[in-house]
Amino acid sequence: MAIEKDLKTILGKLKYSDDAKVVAQITDQMKQVQARMAGIKHKLVVMSGKGGVGKSMTTVNLALALARQHARVGLLDVDLNGPCVPRMLGLHGRSLTMTPEGALPPVGPLGVKVASMDFFLGAASPVRWKGPMDVSPVWLGLMEMNVIREFLADVMWGELDYLLADLPPGAAADKPPVIAGFIPDLAGAIVVTTPSEVASDVVQKSVTYARDMGIKVLGIVENMSEYRCPSCGELNELFEGNTDAMCEALDLPLLGRIPFDRKLARTFDKGEPLLDETYPTIQRYQDIAGRIRTLLDYKRVLAEKL
Amino acid sequence: MKFVCLNCETYMNFEKVEKPGEGSLGVFFGCPSCGAKFSMVTNPGETQMVSSLGVQLGGRTTEAQPFEMTRGTLKEEAQAGSGQMAAYLNEKIQGGQPVAASTPGKAGEKSGGGCPFSAMVAEMGLTSSGKPANGGPGKSEFSWSPDAQEKLDRLPAFVKPMVQSSVEAFARKQGYQTITLQVMDDSKNDSPNGMAWTPEAQQRLDNIPDFIRPMARKEIERLAKERGVVTITAQVMDDAKDKFMKFM
Repeated sequence: MAIEKDLKTILGKLKYSDDAKVVAQITDQMKQVQARMAGIKHKLVVMSGKGGVGKSMTTVNLALALARQHARVGLLDVDLNGPCVPRMLGLHGRSLTMTPEGALPPVGPLGVKVASMDFFLGAASPVRWKGPMDVSPVWLGLMEMNVIREFLADVMWGELDYLLADLPPGAAADKPPVIAGFIPDLAGAIVVTTPSEVASDVVQKSVTYARDMGIKVLGIVENMSEYRCPSCGELNELFEGNTDAMCEALDLPLLGRIPFDRKLARTFDKGEPLLDETYPTIQRYQDIAGRIRTLLDYKRVLAEKL
Repeated sequence: MKFVCLNCETYMNFEKVEKPGEGSLGVFFGCPSCGAKFSMVTNPGETQMVSSLGVQLGGRTTEAQPFEMTRGTLKEEAQAGSGQMAAYLNEKIQGGQPVAASTPGKAGEKSGGGCPFSAMVAEMGLTSSGKPANGGPGKSEFSWSPDAQEKLDRLPAFVKPMVQSSVEAFARKQGYQTITLQVMDDSKNDSPNGMAWTPEAQQRLDNIPDFIRPMARKEIERLAKERGVVTITAQVMDDAKDKFMKFM
């Protein structure tokens, strides 16, 4: 007890010095993230509490839609353990080009730049880390966060209008909102759901948690709203949910509805994405991208319409 | 982490880092006053924890390379097994003996399906779904008109509690005893910030595209709050318009 009191007194008189230069290095890392992100006008994350709702399909198509609208777009696949964006865009097998200044991302369809963990992995290899702590969940969490920090700090995106980050699934005190918190001057989050009540329930929690973290949620995209028949093109319902009611309860706009479209999905599965902007499902992505742009430019809209 | 020389009442200086063995760091400190020295030695796990921060103790001696940590830590296909830390702990703590199985539960004690929190959940009187074990939410203090109740019941189960709670909070604030369809509609326009909107201001808000309206409402209410106003009037809307014009 006496030592504790003495120590408190001693520490009160001492001035902290970072002689092991740890704090300085962490500060430098943060500065580098800031510097690398400085050339990007709008940084957005695409998230959902629920897995399997089509976050990656939505992110990739929104990136392509924005690129069709003459924007310079980057796409960061933050799903370290299940990266699929490169495969969807026909970039599987490509890699980042390492230079002393940073890593150059490969360029996909419509000029979309892509960075993904997939570029570090072999054909069917999962992410495996070496070292004595490779099975420690605490260490894995720390490691993954620092890998994401490297993606933010080391990729040379150059000047971009939009950077879209495809976050892994997770709802509350989990990775996605924390990852979003890494990104300086984040413009907001786009949340993907399906009309199923199970998905909506989890998605609702992730919206609440993201707001608690100070992340501005821009709106909801309802994926797999209907099923577009590949033969006749007719649309049929897949689920019996009510995304409108969820949006109303959360005071969020529904940015758009995307049908499950087997024809479109197949082209992404093959890495040969359909890019025809007259295709009906792609038009829906175009509409959502337009709404996102309006939301990001809402001050101008308010000035005109109020 | 810092070390203090209790004799001299000063921080010890970081001096150097050595690698005394595979997966281990020896970090040397010295007291600037009495010259006392000591070294802190890390185990493999602690060493890896430090390296996964992407920092080098004592500062960098070479330029950082892009994806240095990611590339340096990814395991290659040919590399063997895992759990080296477990082996290390086993060696140090158990002297290489297999770790004994955990003590079996007392006779008749329910395992809770292996969930480490099952006992805590049971103590809190919750079921495994997290819902109270003895029934649903408490009875409403309000009476709901049949048409309002029907509208509420039509909502999906996951939204219903949130809407019910929001409408009842509005009714409580307004001093209503009965919730009708009109109360439900009025509650939608109720601001969580306690702001009231005049019909004219509300009409002007309705001119904004629906997907941008929630954001517009928040921005205008924030402006009103900054100015100490509790009712959004046409004047507040004009002020908001002027403010947004500056961003054009």
